[in-house]
Amino acid sequence: MTSLLNTVSNALEQIILEVTDTNTGTVTWLDGDSAWASDLFPQSNNQFSFIINSDTPFLFDFLIDAKLIWRQAENGKLRSGLWTEVTHNNKELHLEAIAIRQEQRNLLIISNQQESFTHQQKTKQSAREVLLSYDRLFLKNEYLHTRLLSILKQPAAQNNNIIATTSKVIENAEFAVIITSSDFTTSIENSAALRLFEQNKAVSTQQSRPIDIIITLMKNQLPEYERLLLTHSSWNGELCWILPPSTLKWLKIGFYPVKNKLNEVENWIIFANDISTIKHLVQRNEQLALQDMLTELPNRFSFWQVLEKHIAAKRAFYLLYLDINEFRRHNEFYGHDEGDKLLIELSKRINTAVKASDFLARVGGDEFAIILNNIDSQIACKTAIERIIKNINKPFYTSKSESFNVSISIGAASFPNDAQSVEELMKFVDLSAYNGKQKKKNSIQFYSQSMKDVSHSVILIEQELRQAIINNEFELYLQPIIDIKTNRINKAEALIRWNHPVKGIVNPDDFIPIAEKSGLIITIGEWVISQTCQMAKQISELGFELKISMNLSPAQVLDANLFKYLSTCIFDNQVNPRLLELEVTEGVLVDDYRVAEQLLSNIRALGLSISVDDFGTGYSSLSYLKKLPLDYLKIDRSFIKEIVTDDNDKAIVRAVIAMAHTLNLCVTAEGVETAEQLSFLVDNSCNSVQGYIFSRPLKFDNFIKLLNISSS
Amino acid sequence: MIQKKICLLGASSVGKTSLVQQFVEGIFNEKYLTTIGVKVDRKTLPIANQEINFMLWDMEGNDSYNVFQERYLRGAAGYIIVVDQTRASSLHEGLDIHTLAQQVTNCPAILAINKNDLPATWHLDDSENESYKKLFDLQFSTSAKTGSNVEEMFLALAKLLVRFEKNDITT
Repeated sequence: MTSLLNTVSNALEQIILEVTDTNTGTVTWLDGDSAWASDLFPQSNNQFSFIINSDTPFLFDFLIDAKLIWRQAENGKLRSGLWTEVTHNNKELHLEAIAIRQEQRNLLIISNQQESFTHQQKTKQSAREVLLSYDRLFLKNEYLHTRLLSILKQPAAQNNNIIATTSKVIENAEFAVIITSSDFTTSIENSAALRLFEQNKAVSTQQSRPIDIIITLMKNQLPEYERLLLTHSSWNGELCWILPPSTLKWLKIGFYPVKNKLNEVENWIIFANDISTIKHLVQRNEQLALQDMLTELPNRFSFWQVLEKHIAAKRAFYLLYLDINEFRRHNEFYGHDEGDKLLIELSKRINTAVKASDFLARVGGDEFAIILNNIDSQIACKTAIERIIKNINKPFYTSKSESFNVSISIGAASFPNDAQSVEELMKFVDLSAYNGKQKKKNSIQFYSQSMKDVSHSVILIEQELRQAIINNEFELYLQPIIDIKTNRINKAEALIRWNHPVKGIVNPDDFIPIAEKSGLIITIGEWVISQTCQMAKQISELGFELKISMNLSPAQVLDANLFKYLSTCIFDNQVNPRLLELEVTEGVLVDDYRVAEQLLSNIRALGLSISVDDFGTGYSSLSYLKKLPLDYLKIDRSFIKEIVTDDNDKAIVRAVIAMAHTLNLCVTAEGVETAEQLSFLVDNSCNSVQGYIFSRPLKFDNFIKLLNISSS
Repeated sequence: MIQKKICLLGASSVGKTSLVQQFVEGIFNEKYLTTIGVKVDRKTLPIANQEINFMLWDMEGNDSYNVFQERYLRGAAGYIIVVDQTRASSLHEGLDIHTLAQQVTNCPAILAINKNDLPATWHLDDSENESYKKLFDLQFSTSAKTGSNVEEMFLALAKLLVRFEKNDITT
């Protein structure tokens, strides 16, 4: 074998074999005679023809796939992928095989891929070390965060002792840990924090505290900084600290609030990790400095640069900020891998919906930013958004082919109409997305002055609510529920009212959603539970056998302390649990089925009854009704309102009553106001009714008077 | 001599190569060196008066740089899903790979929870333990570093395969 082709084959580190019998794997040696090839096939014994056997198991296995190529009529080829073969004389060969069908001839090329193997190993080694570092960093932060959070949430007296014992843990942490008061005055900072933010004394005369450096960086690099503080949100992300002449550090920051019962921030926990090496590795090996590793889209920093360029060019555009509603829940339900899969798929779908001249980037966990170029009207922007939503509305699939849907929130702001600077534009668009957010629906929110005003008014109400809790401005009213069979009051629903010092009585619809969003609902809900227990006890001491029902908000259902609080209240007030009932909405039961099922079973075991409030307005799913421990269904007032005139409502109410009775549940109709409505409900075997026809919600004393009158 | 193909599967950096090295050569290398492609090692085990030759297909770990390839499982007599007890994400990835593998083979599968010489960052509670037991034919807590349960795991797999072989003959 001294031909030119043979010389070329040797130079390319490959051998060319012709397959003469695909069944037995018999090959004839055409070209290439490097020493490694003889080591690989000792059975060839320098013979012209030999059989590939299971001594090279990977190659032997590849022949099965190769046969499909060799037996086809047309030309084709198939690669085996890299494998490592240890030869009989203990040499490691890194090889790849290519099966070729060309002009009726079956060929097998085996190439020594030492160079490619070394290159791949070097690249992937670094990349995987980066992945591992991220994993470890994440774990360490998570662990300490959870631990510190649980300590800082303890009452102050216990807190001091535990802080003392954990200060060692904090001090020994490999990354910077800083705990501050609500105004960012440092309470604790470990040595790692001081080391990380050490400044060159020769250059800077005044040394800044680590927390001051972090806050300055956040203010300058995070458009959402103000919103984070206002909404007491946590944040995880990367910041770049440059301090001329020689400091350039990439920092991974964890920024977490510690809130009290009034949802006020008492402390901030801040973690900072130096990820400059990781960044360097990423940049060197994958040129991903400006690219998001998961979706391969431009990342936050790339986006920032492009946005600055666009503003400098002074051409009109719309900026969109898009995030997935309830992404956290999706991750919890399907796992993080599926979450990643969703992000990749979503990024592809958005990409196909925008024009080539537009710019899409992944700027955070489930957040994407889009620059829609050459658009200066809201109508054109809406059209573009609708294209995106249309693509996203199609079902997504998990690896196990389960289909699911997602909804998104989009905030939009225009340059130069709404804002003229990068910071302002980002702040506005972030505020728009945050305000527009709805749990299960796609939402679009354009930036406007009125939105800004509403946002401020919400913040004001939240502050007033906090004050209301402290000043005890809430009051519980009771609305009687009448048993149709006995025509007597057998239950009452406790309804909260807010006696605002200036505005007077505030309707729950105007403050409960804000209390929900701010987390204050937990404290308000606890007050309701405590008051209801006291009232139920008083009523029973007056000799009335009456259940009092109270509403549970979704946040309360998810509150891990609810059951403990409820049972303690019942015990402290010495009230018979059978005199209490909890009302939950359909949404809670479906969204958080497992938590709800566990909680309701425990509550039922305690002796309380459970009713489903506003039935018919949400999912009305039979499957959960059958499985959950329930006692009553409350038909929403919207069905009762037109019951006399609307045939659809008649049919729905009849069906609900029949279905409930089949499942051994009793039915209460809400919002009954007229004799005709009552007559329909009586005729259709509804169990109890509630509404203005009998009584409005009453103050406690008036309710007792009503009880006395009706019993006499 | 019976010859059996065994595949080692799992996320990257969980210790698949180290388990094979510990089992075949009785050594452990502290330095992490990522596997590229596939490497096949062999070891013969004496089981119940006969010899079983394991062909151990050590595969490159699965992550964003390398997706799982079902075709490598062809002809496998069993496979071991290796997960790392210091990284919870490796369990999730391992279970995903197991699901994909089950679509192409019904051969016995083992769950190896590796790195038991290091503190665990996740634990299976009783109910999880029960449900994973159902998913896998055998489950081991191993350490390629100390050798804990490594030999035992491969031996148990060999015995299981011999038992399967006998059943095949008698039925």
